[in-house]
Amino acid sequence: MFGAFRFTNPLSGGLLWKTPWRLSRFQKTRQRRRLRAVDSVVATVDAALAKQGQTLAALDTWKETMPTEDKYTIFDRKEKRYRKGIHSMFLPFTDSDICV
Amino acid sequence: MSASYFRITLHRSAIGLPERTRGALAALGLRKRSQTVFHPVEPQFAGMIMKVKELVRVQEVDRPLSPRELREERRPERGFWLEKAVPR
Repeated sequence: MFGAFRFTNPLSGGLLWKTPWRLSRFQKTRQRRRLRAVDSVVATVDAALAKQGQTLAALDTWKETMPTEDKYTIFDRKEKRYRKGIHSMFLPFTDSDICV
Repeated sequence: MSASYFRITLHRSAIGLPERTRGALAALGLRKRSQTVFHPVEPQFAGMIMKVKELVRVQEVDRPLSPRELREERRPERGFWLEKAVPR
């Protein structure tokens, strides 16, 4: 239905304040874009230092520990198996571990 | 070996981030968003960039640009284009 009497979740059930368990298509697109931006910064720094023949401990750590596939979960010490979905980052009152 | 530089632009604000992160930005000389600074390619500066990699955009350039040249980059081209000639 349309207009004021359409059956959306908040209207039919009253207060609805839930965070979906997965990212929407657009959230995921933006998140991927942000992740790619960070990757490009690291790649630029790495290439520039390699040209000078220099190394950096932070870059080695990044290459060792940064997951290439499982980028959409973040570390959380309270979570089972220590990983939680990245959407939890958007909750206002959680400390987001992905933050710098 | 020719000297090269990092061209670092602050893309995202550091509001609400830890003191040490903001300290890294201050050490790089970044005070506000879309401000651009140049630093030589050295491990010292690379480490600072890695500290704030989520906030900045980085390019490797041959030489630092002067403020005047940076301003010239932002200046739009003069004049205008006719998208489609209007029949008269």
